[in-house]
Amino acid sequence: MIAGYHPLVKQVLDGELSLADLPPELRAEAEEAVRLVQAADRAPVILSSAVEDRVMAVVRGHAASPARRAWRWINAPRDIELRLRVRPWVLWGGALAAAAVLALLLTRPTSSPGPETRVASRDSVLVRFVLYAPGARRVAVAGTFNQWDRSAAPLVPAGTSGVWTTTLALPVGQHQYAFVVDGERWVVDPGAPAVNDGFGRRNSLVAVTAHGTRAL
Amino acid sequence: MNRCSLLLRLIVLAVVPGALAGQDVAKQLDGRVSPDVRKAVVTIAADAAARGLPVAPLVEKAIEGGAKGVPADRVIAAVRTLAGRMGDAMSALRAAGVVAPSGDVVEGGADALNVGLTSSDVRDLVRVSRPPYDASLTLRVAATLVALGVPPDQALQLVNAMIKAGRSPGDLLTLPAEVQAGVGGGATPGQAAAGLARAAAAGRPPVPPGQAKTGKPVNPHRP
Repeated sequence: MIAGYHPLVKQVLDGELSLADLPPELRAEAEEAVRLVQAADRAPVILSSAVEDRVMAVVRGHAASPARRAWRWINAPRDIELRLRVRPWVLWGGALAAAAVLALLLTRPTSSPGPETRVASRDSVLVRFVLYAPGARRVAVAGTFNQWDRSAAPLVPAGTSGVWTTTLALPVGQHQYAFVVDGERWVVDPGAPAVNDGFGRRNSLVAVTAHGTRAL
Repeated sequence: MNRCSLLLRLIVLAVVPGALAGQDVAKQLDGRVSPDVRKAVVTIAADAAARGLPVAPLVEKAIEGGAKGVPADRVIAAVRTLAGRMGDAMSALRAAGVVAPSGDVVEGGADALNVGLTSSDVRDLVRVSRPPYDASLTLRVAATLVALGVPPDQALQLVNAMIKAGRSPGDLLTLPAEVQAGVGGGATPGQAAAGLARAAAAGRPPVPPGQAKTGKPVNPHRP
Protein backbone atom coordinates (compact mmCIF):
# COMPACT_ATOMS: atom_id res chain seq x y z
CA MET A 1 0.00 0.00 0.00
CA ILE A 2 1.15 3.49 -0.82
CA ALA A 3 0.12 4.60 2.66
CA GLY A 4 2.84 2.44 4.11
CA TYR A 5 5.65 4.03 2.18
CA HIS A 6 8.16 6.38 3.67
CA PRO A 7 7.27 10.09 3.09
CA LEU A 8 10.36 10.55 0.95
CA VAL A 9 9.33 7.58 -1.19
CA LYS A 10 5.89 9.19 -1.62
CA GLN A 11 7.65 12.33 -2.81
CA VAL A 12 9.47 10.23 -5.40
CA LEU A 13 6.09 8.84 -6.55
CA ASP A 14 4.76 12.37 -6.81
CA GLY A 15 7.72 13.38 -8.95
CA GLU A 16 9.05 15.80 -6.37
CA LEU A 17 12.26 13.80 -5.80
CA SER A 18 14.32 11.46 -7.92
CA LEU A 19 15.66 8.14 -6.79
CA ALA A 20 19.13 9.66 -6.62
CA ASP A 21 17.89 12.11 -4.00
CA LEU A 22 16.98 9.36 -1.56
CA PRO A 23 19.28 7.94 1.08
CA PRO A 24 20.59 4.49 0.12
CA GLU A 25 18.43 2.63 2.64
CA LEU A 26 15.23 3.94 1.02
CA ARG A 27 16.16 3.33 -2.60
CA ALA A 28 15.03 -0.32 -2.68
CA GLU A 29 11.63 0.63 -1.24
CA ALA A 30 11.31 3.47 -3.75
CA GLU A 31 12.24 1.29 -6.71
CA GLU A 32 9.64 -1.25 -5.62
CA ALA A 33 6.99 1.47 -5.34
CA VAL A 34 7.87 2.93 -8.75
CA ARG A 35 7.71 -0.51 -10.30
CA LEU A 36 4.24 -1.14 -8.87
CA VAL A 37 2.90 2.22 -10.04
CA GLN A 38 4.33 1.79 -13.54
CA ALA A 39 2.77 -1.67 -13.74
CA ALA A 40 -0.70 -0.33 -13.04
CA ASP A 41 -3.09 -0.66 -15.95
CA ARG A 42 -4.06 2.86 -17.08
CA ALA A 43 -6.28 1.72 -19.94
CA PRO A 44 -9.76 3.28 -19.85
CA VAL A 45 -12.52 1.09 -18.43
CA ILE A 46 -15.39 0.49 -20.80
CA LEU A 47 -18.62 -0.56 -19.18
CA SER A 48 -21.04 -2.85 -20.92
CA SER A 49 -24.27 -1.31 -22.20
CA ALA A 50 -26.23 -3.47 -19.74
CA VAL A 51 -24.56 -1.77 -16.79
CA GLU A 52 -25.36 1.67 -18.20
CA ASP A 53 -29.01 0.72 -18.73
CA ARG A 54 -29.33 -0.51 -15.16
CA VAL A 55 -27.83 2.67 -13.74
CA MET A 56 -30.06 4.95 -15.80
CA ALA A 57 -33.15 2.95 -14.87
CA VAL A 58 -32.40 3.53 -11.21
CA VAL A 59 -31.81 7.25 -11.79
CA ARG A 60 -35.08 7.70 -13.71
CA GLY A 61 -37.02 5.77 -11.10
CA HIS A 62 -35.61 8.01 -8.37
CA ALA A 63 -36.44 11.19 -10.26
CA ALA A 64 -40.00 10.12 -10.98
CA SER A 65 -40.92 9.13 -7.43
CA PRO A 66 -44.13 10.75 -6.04
CA ALA A 67 -42.21 12.46 -3.26
CA ARG A 68 -39.83 14.04 -5.74
CA ARG A 69 -42.68 15.20 -7.95
CA ALA A 70 -44.49 16.69 -4.96
CA TRP A 71 -41.38 18.52 -3.86
CA ARG A 72 -40.81 19.90 -7.34
CA TRP A 73 -44.40 21.08 -7.46
CA ILE A 74 -44.05 22.83 -4.11
CA ASN A 75 -40.72 24.34 -4.94
CA ALA A 76 -41.34 25.51 -8.49
CA PRO A 77 -41.75 29.29 -8.93
CA ARG A 78 -45.12 30.47 -10.21
CA ASP A 79 -46.65 33.72 -11.36
CA ILE A 80 -49.30 34.97 -8.96
CA GLU A 81 -51.59 37.85 -9.73
CA LEU A 82 -53.11 39.75 -6.80
CA ARG A 83 -55.91 42.20 -7.26
CA LEU A 84 -56.76 44.51 -4.37
CA ARG A 85 -59.80 46.72 -4.26
CA VAL A 86 -59.65 49.27 -1.44
CA ARG A 87 -61.57 52.40 -0.68
CA PRO A 88 -59.56 55.67 -0.80
CA TRP A 89 -60.04 56.37 2.92
CA VAL A 90 -58.24 53.11 3.73
CA LEU A 91 -55.24 54.25 1.72
CA TRP A 92 -55.24 57.66 3.39
CA GLY A 93 -55.56 56.12 6.83
CA GLY A 94 -52.68 53.76 6.17
CA ALA A 95 -50.51 56.57 4.89
CA LEU A 96 -51.25 58.70 7.95
CA ALA A 97 -50.54 55.80 10.31
CA ALA A 98 -47.23 55.13 8.57
CA ALA A 99 -46.37 58.84 8.77
CA ALA A 100 -47.23 58.89 12.48
CA VAL A 101 -44.99 55.88 13.19
CA LEU A 102 -42.18 57.43 11.15
CA ALA A 103 -42.54 60.76 12.95
CA LEU A 104 -42.39 59.04 16.33
CA LEU A 105 -39.30 57.08 15.38
CA LEU A 106 -37.52 60.14 14.00
CA THR A 107 -38.39 62.64 16.68
CA ARG A 108 -38.29 60.57 19.84
CA PRO A 109 -35.06 61.11 21.77
CA THR A 110 -32.96 58.19 22.87
CA SER A 111 -33.85 56.51 26.13
CA SER A 112 -30.86 57.83 28.03
CA PRO A 113 -28.93 61.03 27.45
CA GLY A 114 -25.23 61.60 27.36
CA PRO A 115 -22.26 60.34 25.42
CA GLU A 116 -22.94 56.71 26.18
CA THR A 117 -26.02 56.77 24.06
CA ARG A 118 -24.51 58.79 21.27
CA VAL A 119 -21.54 56.54 20.79
CA ALA A 120 -22.96 53.23 21.92
CA SER A 121 -22.23 51.60 18.62
CA ARG A 122 -18.59 52.58 18.59
CA ASP A 123 -15.59 51.11 20.32
CA SER A 124 -14.68 51.74 23.90
CA VAL A 125 -11.18 52.57 25.05
CA LEU A 126 -9.62 51.94 28.45
CA VAL A 127 -8.80 55.19 30.22
CA ARG A 128 -6.90 55.45 33.48
CA PHE A 129 -7.85 58.14 35.96
CA VAL A 130 -5.39 59.15 38.64
CA LEU A 131 -5.80 61.58 41.54
CA TYR A 132 -3.41 62.43 44.33
CA ALA A 133 -5.66 62.87 47.35
CA PRO A 134 -3.79 62.13 50.57
CA GLY A 135 -6.10 61.75 53.54
CA ALA A 136 -9.16 60.97 51.43
CA ARG A 137 -11.38 58.17 52.67
CA ARG A 138 -12.90 57.45 49.29
CA VAL A 139 -12.60 58.86 45.78
CA ALA A 140 -14.76 58.31 42.71
CA VAL A 141 -14.93 59.73 39.22
CA ALA A 142 -18.23 60.97 37.86
CA GLY A 143 -18.94 62.42 34.47
CA THR A 144 -20.93 62.40 31.31
CA PHE A 145 -19.92 58.77 30.79
CA ASN A 146 -21.75 57.54 33.90
CA GLN A 147 -24.50 60.14 34.22
CA TRP A 148 -22.57 61.89 36.99
CA ASP A 149 -23.14 59.00 39.36
CA ARG A 150 -20.95 59.62 42.41
CA SER A 151 -20.69 55.95 43.29
CA ALA A 152 -20.50 54.29 39.88
CA ALA A 153 -16.72 54.48 39.41
CA PRO A 154 -14.73 54.40 42.65
CA LEU A 155 -10.96 54.83 42.57
CA VAL A 156 -8.69 52.46 44.44
CA PRO A 157 -5.86 53.69 46.69
CA ALA A 158 -2.38 52.69 45.64
CA GLY A 159 -1.04 51.70 49.04
CA THR A 160 -0.64 54.58 51.45
CA SER A 161 0.89 56.97 48.94
CA GLY A 162 -2.27 59.04 48.61
CA VAL A 163 -2.58 58.15 44.93
CA TRP A 164 -5.99 56.90 43.84
CA THR A 165 -6.55 55.26 40.49
CA THR A 166 -9.07 53.46 38.35
CA THR A 167 -9.38 52.37 34.76
CA LEU A 168 -12.65 52.71 32.89
CA ALA A 169 -13.79 51.65 29.45
CA LEU A 170 -15.10 54.85 27.91
CA PRO A 171 -16.89 55.18 24.63
CA VAL A 172 -15.21 57.17 21.88
CA GLY A 173 -16.01 60.86 22.18
CA GLN A 174 -15.34 63.81 24.43
CA HIS A 175 -16.33 63.55 28.06
CA GLN A 176 -16.54 65.94 31.00
CA TYR A 177 -15.82 64.64 34.46
CA ALA A 178 -14.70 65.45 37.97
CA PHE A 179 -13.44 63.51 40.95
CA VAL A 180 -15.66 63.18 44.01
CA VAL A 181 -13.66 63.05 47.21
CA ASP A 182 -15.34 61.59 50.28
CA GLY A 183 -18.68 61.60 48.51
CA GLU A 184 -19.18 65.36 48.59
CA ARG A 185 -16.17 67.35 47.42
CA TRP A 186 -15.97 67.78 43.64
CA VAL A 187 -12.39 68.15 42.41
CA VAL A 188 -11.15 68.80 38.87
CA ASP A 189 -8.35 66.71 37.42
CA PRO A 190 -5.18 68.83 37.79
CA GLY A 191 -3.68 67.08 34.77
CA ALA A 192 -6.46 67.87 32.34
CA PRO A 193 -7.99 71.02 30.87
CA ALA A 194 -11.17 72.24 32.50
CA VAL A 195 -14.21 74.22 31.45
CA ASN A 196 -16.94 76.10 33.26
CA ASP A 197 -19.66 73.66 34.25
CA GLY A 198 -22.39 76.28 34.25
CA PHE A 199 -22.81 76.10 38.02
CA GLY A 200 -19.79 78.21 38.91
CA ARG A 201 -17.46 75.21 39.12
CA ARG A 202 -15.20 73.46 36.64
CA ASN A 203 -15.31 70.15 34.79
CA SER A 204 -12.27 68.35 33.42
CA LEU A 205 -12.18 67.27 29.79
CA VAL A 206 -11.01 64.03 28.25
CA ALA A 207 -11.28 62.99 24.61
CA VAL A 208 -11.34 59.33 23.72
CA THR A 209 -10.48 58.37 20.16
CA ALA A 210 -10.36 54.98 18.55
CA HIS A 211 -6.57 55.26 18.67
CA GLY A 212 -6.30 56.11 22.36
CA THR A 213 -6.98 58.87 24.78
CA ARG A 214 -6.19 62.53 24.51
CA ALA A 215 -6.18 64.92 27.38
CA LEU A 216 -8.56 67.28 25.65
CA MET B 1 -62.38 62.78 4.85
CA ASN B 2 -63.11 66.47 5.20
CA ARG B 3 -60.45 69.13 5.58
CA CYS B 4 -61.05 69.74 9.28
CA SER B 5 -60.46 66.11 10.04
CA LEU B 6 -57.24 66.05 8.04
CA LEU B 7 -56.03 69.23 9.74
CA LEU B 8 -56.80 67.75 13.15
CA ARG B 9 -54.83 64.65 12.36
CA LEU B 10 -51.85 66.67 11.16
CA ILE B 11 -51.93 68.71 14.37
CA VAL B 12 -51.96 65.50 16.41
CA LEU B 13 -49.00 64.25 14.41
CA ALA B 14 -47.10 67.44 15.18
CA VAL B 15 -47.92 67.56 18.88
CA VAL B 16 -47.73 63.91 19.95
CA PRO B 17 -43.96 63.45 19.39
CA GLY B 18 -43.21 66.56 21.51
CA ALA B 19 -45.46 65.30 24.27
CA LEU B 20 -43.77 61.90 24.19
CA ALA B 21 -40.34 63.58 24.28
CA GLY B 22 -41.47 65.53 27.35
CA GLN B 23 -42.56 62.32 29.04
CA ASP B 24 -39.20 60.76 28.22
CA VAL B 25 -37.29 63.72 29.69
CA ALA B 26 -39.40 63.58 32.86
CA LYS B 27 -38.74 59.88 33.17
CA GLN B 28 -34.99 60.36 32.83
CA LEU B 29 -34.99 63.03 35.51
CA ASP B 30 -37.09 61.06 37.98
CA GLY B 31 -35.25 60.69 41.28
CA ARG B 32 -32.22 62.61 40.04
CA VAL B 33 -33.38 66.19 40.43
CA SER B 34 -35.95 68.01 42.53
CA PRO B 35 -39.55 68.21 41.27
CA ASP B 36 -39.08 71.92 40.52
CA VAL B 37 -36.05 71.27 38.36
CA ARG B 38 -37.80 68.36 36.68
CA LYS B 39 -40.80 70.46 35.76
CA ALA B 40 -38.72 73.36 34.47
CA VAL B 41 -36.38 71.16 32.44
CA VAL B 42 -39.28 69.35 30.80
CA THR B 43 -40.58 72.71 29.60
CA ILE B 44 -37.16 73.93 28.45
CA ALA B 45 -36.51 70.62 26.67
CA ALA B 46 -39.87 70.69 24.89
CA ASP B 47 -39.13 74.20 23.67
CA ALA B 48 -35.65 73.15 22.56
CA ALA B 49 -37.01 70.11 20.72
CA ALA B 50 -39.51 72.33 18.92
CA ARG B 51 -36.58 74.47 17.73
CA GLY B 52 -34.73 71.41 16.48
CA LEU B 53 -32.15 71.47 19.26
CA PRO B 54 -30.84 68.32 20.95
CA VAL B 55 -32.51 67.52 24.26
CA ALA B 56 -29.95 65.10 25.70
CA PRO B 57 -27.39 67.79 26.73
CA LEU B 58 -30.09 69.61 28.68
CA VAL B 59 -31.12 66.49 30.56
CA GLU B 60 -27.50 65.69 31.21
CA LYS B 61 -26.80 69.17 32.59
CA ALA B 62 -29.77 68.90 34.94
CA ILE B 63 -28.60 65.49 36.15
CA GLU B 64 -25.09 66.89 36.66
CA GLY B 65 -26.49 69.73 38.75
CA GLY B 66 -28.54 67.31 40.81
CA ALA B 67 -25.54 65.06 41.42
CA LYS B 68 -23.42 68.02 42.51
CA GLY B 69 -26.06 69.23 44.91
CA VAL B 70 -26.46 72.53 43.11
CA PRO B 71 -29.50 74.57 44.23
CA ALA B 72 -32.55 74.16 42.02
CA ASP B 73 -32.62 77.73 40.72
CA ARG B 74 -29.00 77.51 39.60
CA VAL B 75 -29.61 74.19 37.85
CA ILE B 76 -32.58 75.62 36.00
CA ALA B 77 -30.59 78.72 35.06
CA ALA B 78 -27.70 76.58 33.78
CA VAL B 79 -30.03 74.42 31.69
CA ARG B 80 -31.73 77.49 30.30
CA THR B 81 -28.35 79.05 29.48
CA LEU B 82 -27.25 75.89 27.73
CA ALA B 83 -30.45 75.83 25.68
CA GLY B 84 -29.86 79.46 24.68
CA ARG B 85 -26.26 78.73 23.80
CA MET B 86 -27.30 75.77 21.65
CA GLY B 87 -29.80 78.05 19.92
CA ASP B 88 -27.02 80.53 19.18
CA ALA B 89 -24.83 77.70 17.93
CA MET B 90 -27.65 76.51 15.69
CA SER B 91 -27.95 80.00 14.18
CA ALA B 92 -24.19 80.12 13.58
CA LEU B 93 -24.29 76.69 11.96
CA ARG B 94 -27.12 77.72 9.69
CA ALA B 95 -25.19 80.87 8.79
CA ALA B 96 -22.36 78.55 7.78
CA GLY B 97 -24.73 76.79 5.39
CA VAL B 98 -25.52 73.74 7.51
CA VAL B 99 -29.25 73.31 7.11
CA ALA B 100 -29.84 70.45 9.54
CA PRO B 101 -26.86 70.10 11.88
CA SER B 102 -26.55 67.01 14.04
CA GLY B 103 -27.03 67.28 17.79
CA ASP B 104 -23.33 66.62 18.28
CA VAL B 105 -22.32 69.59 16.12
CA VAL B 106 -24.82 71.85 17.88
CA GLU B 107 -23.42 70.75 21.23
CA GLY B 108 -19.87 71.33 19.95
CA GLY B 109 -20.89 74.82 18.91
CA ALA B 110 -22.37 75.45 22.34
CA ASP B 111 -19.12 74.25 23.94
CA ALA B 112 -17.19 76.68 21.76
CA LEU B 113 -19.46 79.57 22.74
CA ASN B 114 -19.17 78.53 26.38
CA VAL B 115 -15.41 79.12 26.43
CA GLY B 116 -15.62 82.52 24.77
CA LEU B 117 -15.52 81.91 21.04
CA THR B 118 -18.00 84.07 19.14
CA SER B 119 -20.82 83.04 16.83
CA SER B 120 -18.76 84.18 13.86
CA ASP B 121 -15.84 82.04 15.10
CA VAL B 122 -18.20 79.06 15.19
CA ARG B 123 -19.49 79.87 11.73
CA ASP B 124 -15.97 80.19 10.31
CA LEU B 125 -14.81 76.95 11.92
CA VAL B 126 -17.78 75.07 10.52
CA ARG B 127 -17.12 76.49 7.07
CA VAL B 128 -13.56 75.13 7.01
CA SER B 129 -14.62 71.78 8.45
CA ARG B 130 -14.97 69.90 5.21
CA PRO B 131 -14.50 66.13 5.20
CA PRO B 132 -12.53 64.46 6.66
CA TYR B 133 -12.82 67.11 9.38
CA ASP B 134 -16.00 66.83 11.39
CA ALA B 135 -17.37 70.18 12.55
CA SER B 136 -18.03 68.87 16.06
CA LEU B 137 -14.37 67.85 16.28
CA THR B 138 -12.91 71.17 15.13
CA LEU B 139 -15.30 73.10 17.37
CA ARG B 140 -14.40 71.03 20.42
CA VAL B 141 -10.67 71.16 19.73
CA ALA B 142 -10.81 74.95 19.38
CA ALA B 143 -12.91 75.19 22.53
CA THR B 144 -10.45 73.06 24.46
CA LEU B 145 -7.50 75.12 23.26
CA VAL B 146 -9.22 78.23 24.53
CA ALA B 147 -10.01 76.44 27.80
CA LEU B 148 -6.29 75.75 28.10
CA GLY B 149 -5.57 79.47 27.90
CA VAL B 150 -4.84 79.88 24.19
CA PRO B 151 -6.25 83.21 23.01
CA PRO B 152 -9.33 82.56 20.80
CA ASP B 153 -7.83 84.08 17.63
CA GLN B 154 -4.70 81.96 18.02
CA ALA B 155 -6.76 78.85 18.65
CA LEU B 156 -8.62 79.48 15.40
CA GLN B 157 -5.38 80.16 13.55
CA LEU B 158 -3.90 76.92 14.81
CA VAL B 159 -6.91 74.81 13.80
CA ASN B 160 -7.02 76.53 10.41
CA ALA B 161 -3.29 75.98 9.88
CA MET B 162 -3.66 72.29 10.66
CA ILE B 163 -6.56 71.92 8.22
CA LYS B 164 -4.74 73.85 5.49
CA ALA B 165 -1.67 71.69 6.02
CA GLY B 166 -3.83 68.60 5.47
CA ARG B 167 -3.14 67.15 8.89
CA SER B 168 -5.40 64.28 9.92
CA PRO B 169 -8.37 64.69 12.27
CA GLY B 170 -6.37 62.60 14.75
CA ASP B 171 -3.61 65.23 14.61
CA LEU B 172 -6.17 67.89 15.45
CA LEU B 173 -7.15 65.92 18.53
CA THR B 174 -3.58 65.90 19.78
CA LEU B 175 -3.33 69.70 19.74
CA PRO B 176 -4.52 70.32 23.30
CA ALA B 177 -2.10 67.72 24.66
CA GLU B 178 0.70 69.32 22.65
CA VAL B 179 -0.14 72.75 23.95
CA GLN B 180 -0.12 71.32 27.46
CA ALA B 181 3.28 69.82 26.78
CA GLY B 182 4.50 73.19 25.60
CA VAL B 183 3.18 74.87 28.72
CA GLY B 184 4.90 72.16 30.77
CA GLY B 185 8.11 73.14 28.98
CA GLY B 186 7.79 76.77 30.06
CA ALA B 187 5.90 78.35 27.15
CA THR B 188 2.67 80.26 27.53
CA PRO B 189 -0.41 78.66 25.92
CA GLY B 190 -0.28 81.30 23.20
CA GLN B 191 3.40 80.67 22.49
CA ALA B 192 2.84 76.92 22.37
CA ALA B 193 -0.08 77.36 19.97
CA ALA B 194 1.91 79.77 17.80
CA GLY B 195 4.78 77.28 17.60
CA LEU B 196 2.42 74.52 16.56
CA ALA B 197 0.78 76.74 13.94
CA ARG B 198 4.19 77.67 12.49
CA ALA B 199 5.18 74.02 12.37
CA ALA B 200 1.94 73.09 10.61
CA ALA B 201 2.35 75.90 8.08
CA ALA B 202 5.93 74.82 7.40
CA GLY B 203 4.88 71.20 6.99
CA ARG B 204 6.85 70.03 10.00
CA PRO B 205 5.56 67.55 12.55
CA PRO B 206 3.90 69.34 15.47
CA VAL B 207 6.61 69.58 18.15
CA PRO B 208 5.88 72.42 20.55
CA PRO B 209 8.39 73.95 22.94
CA GLY B 210 9.14 71.68 25.87
CA GLN B 211 8.33 68.50 24.00
CA ALA B 212 11.38 68.23 21.80
CA LYS B 213 13.46 66.24 24.28
CA THR B 214 11.09 63.40 25.05
CA GLY B 215 8.82 63.48 22.04
CA LYS B 216 5.97 62.39 24.29
CA PRO B 217 3.03 64.63 25.09
CA VAL B 218 1.89 64.99 28.65
CA ASN B 219 -1.11 62.72 28.89
CA PRO B 220 -2.35 61.67 32.29
CA HIS B 221 -5.10 59.52 30.80
CA ARG B 222 -3.11 57.30 28.53
CA PRO B 223 -4.15 53.68 29.23
